[in-house]
Amino acid sequence: MAGTFSEELKAEPNLTPLLDVVFQLITFFMLVINFSQDTYDARIKLPVAPSAKPVDSAQAAEDRLVLNINPNGTLLLNGREFGPDEAAREMQLQADLVKLNFRNKPDFDPNNLPTTLVIRADRNTPFEPLHKLIVACQTNGFRKFSLKAMTRGN
Amino acid sequence: MNKKKSIRRTSDGPEVPITPMLDMAFQLLTFFVLTYHPAPVEGQFSMSLLPPQPATNLDATPPPDAAPSNELPATLRTVTTTLRADDTGGLGRITLGDVDMRDLDELAEKAKEVLENPELPFDQALIQVDPKLRYEGLLQVVDVLSKYTTKIAFTILDEVVPGANL
Repeated sequence: MAGTFSEELKAEPNLTPLLDVVFQLITFFMLVINFSQDTYDARIKLPVAPSAKPVDSAQAAEDRLVLNINPNGTLLLNGREFGPDEAAREMQLQADLVKLNFRNKPDFDPNNLPTTLVIRADRNTPFEPLHKLIVACQTNGFRKFSLKAMTRGN
Repeated sequence: MNKKKSIRRTSDGPEVPITPMLDMAFQLLTFFVLTYHPAPVEGQFSMSLLPPQPATNLDATPPPDAAPSNELPATLRTVTTTLRADDTGGLGRITLGDVDMRDLDELAEKAKEVLENPELPFDQALIQVDPKLRYEGLLQVVDVLSKYTTKIAFTILDEVVPGANL
C-alpha cells in the first residue's frame, strides 16, 4: 500500500512539447547556418558605404575570387599571407589557373578574364599597396572588380 | 478505483524515454547556437577596370585607315577628382577638376551638376588618390560618385596618368 502511494505522487513532467520546441530551434539553426564562408575574413573591418549594392544571385553565380587585404596591405588568400611582391606572383598564378579552366569557352578572352575579383580591404589599408595589387591583377588580365563595403555601420 | 485504472493505463503502453533524446537535442542546439554567426550586411561596387592606356593626343593626325568617329575621347568625357590625405591618412582635401571642395556634400552637389548635365560631355570619373589615403576615405568618395556614374576608375596621385583607365 505504501509503494502504491509513492508511485502515485511521482512527478513526470511532459517533455514532448519541450522536445518539439528544441527540434524546431535546431531546424532553424541548421537552415540559417552557413559553413561556406571560408573566404570571409572576420579580421577585415570593411568601410561603410551606404550606396553599396547587395550581391544579387546572378553575381553570386559568377566565378569570383575574394581578396582580403589587411591594414598593412598584405593579401590574405586561401589561408596564406602575401606581401606586395608575392601578391603579384600569386595573382599571376591565379590568372593562369583561370585561363586553364576557361580556355575551352567559346568567348574566352585571356585579356578579359571572366572571374570577378572581390576586394575586401580593411578600412585602414593605405591606397598604395591596394593600387599595386589592382595593377598586378589588371596586368594579368583581370578586368572585373567588386569593392566590398558595409552598407551600414556596426 | 479510478486511480488504479489510470495507473494501469499508463503502464500498459510502451514508454519511450524522451530524456536522452532531449539531452541530445540540447547538445545539438548548443552546437548550432555557438557556431552561428550571422553574415554581415555587405554590399559592393562593381566596376570594370582596364589598365591605364595612352591618351589620345588631340593634335595627332589620325591613321589613314581610321574610321571616322564623332565620339569624344575618354579624356574629354572624364571628370577628375583628386583626393589628398591628411596627417592621419584620412580624407584631407578633395578637388573636383581644379576646384577644392569643402566636404563630401559639396562634392556630391558639384558631381551631380557635372555628370547629370546632358549639355556636358562628362559621363565617367577618374579618382586620383594619395598613396597614404586610407581605403575608407576612397570609398567615401566612390560612394558619392557612384550615384551619378557607374564608370569610375582610380589611379595613384602624382603618377603620370596618360589616360583614364576606364
